[in-house]
Amino acid sequence: MSFGRQVTMRRRILSAAWAFVANFVLWIVIPYYVGTLLVGRVPESALTVPSFVFEFGALFIVLDVGAAFFQGKAISVPFISGAAALSAVFLWLVTNGGSLTVTTAGIDITLGFQLLLYVLVLPSIWAAIRAPLSYLVWRRAAASSAPPNPVPTGSA
Amino acid sequence: MIFVQVKPKTTRGTWALRAVTAAVTIIVILVLGTVAYSAYQDYSAIKSELAGGSSPAVGTETRNGTSEAITLDIPIPNHGLYTLNVTIACTYPTSNVVCTTAHVSVPPGGQGTLLFEINVTNMTQFENSGNLNVNGTVAIVMPPFASVSVQTNFGGFVSQGGGS
Repeated sequence: MSFGRQVTMRRRILSAAWAFVANFVLWIVIPYYVGTLLVGRVPESALTVPSFVFEFGALFIVLDVGAAFFQGKAISVPFISGAAALSAVFLWLVTNGGSLTVTTAGIDITLGFQLLLYVLVLPSIWAAIRAPLSYLVWRRAAASSAPPNPVPTGSA
Repeated sequence: MIFVQVKPKTTRGTWALRAVTAAVTIIVILVLGTVAYSAYQDYSAIKSELAGGSSPAVGTETRNGTSEAITLDIPIPNHGLYTLNVTIACTYPTSNVVCTTAHVSVPPGGQGTLLFEINVTNMTQFENSGNLNVNGTVAIVMPPFASVSVQTNFGGFVSQGGGS
């Protein structure tokens, strides 16, 4: 992510539209079809797509579209951090905190991967922290490298 | 009025953030890569051993009067990068069934053997009822990252009419 660069309104709208389409497919369309497939093909399966996936999907769309639209501005920071933190929470919830149990044909299979889950959510947590830090670093660098009296390059 | 756009130079803070990002990425790739590789290698090795590899699993049933002992001798190879701990135990032993708890810890590149025994003290009771419920657990742990625990009925190991 980079702050302070000039982004045209056309580019902002295109980025936001692309973020909307990509997130809609990823969080709404794919989970819906995976859920339909699981119910249709394996009716007795304990595996279903939890309903909170769609609620998270709606939040992801809002945050990612906001981050894309406000790219390069300070206001994009909460959107970027929010989306990253939300993905960490989502991963935690969807894996039940690193402990999954499936019961099929009288056999209970339990998968435990708590430490692996910590490693998996690490990039999301770091991304959530990095966004405000990047902004602070950029602001500090911009303040220190700005000339004391900006010289106009053109006239009004 | 048009102002000049200030492009800040790359500072120590920017480099520090990039370094942490690179470190996080490397850690995640290393951990996921090694765990996935180890899981695949261990799964393939155990599967091939159970299917009749160099030292296939041996199951013997010894009948002595009304009691019967079922012994499973399972080779556990570890072709992965992490230590592999395998435990087989009965979850709820009954008065008619006694199990040993078998545990083996196999270091990377090593080979272990799991010796598990189920003793049925009264086979007549089992043969009359037609089913033997012995809930057991097979736990495979790849410390510190992952574990798989399978709980099922071990009664299927025991055949009516005695063993060979």
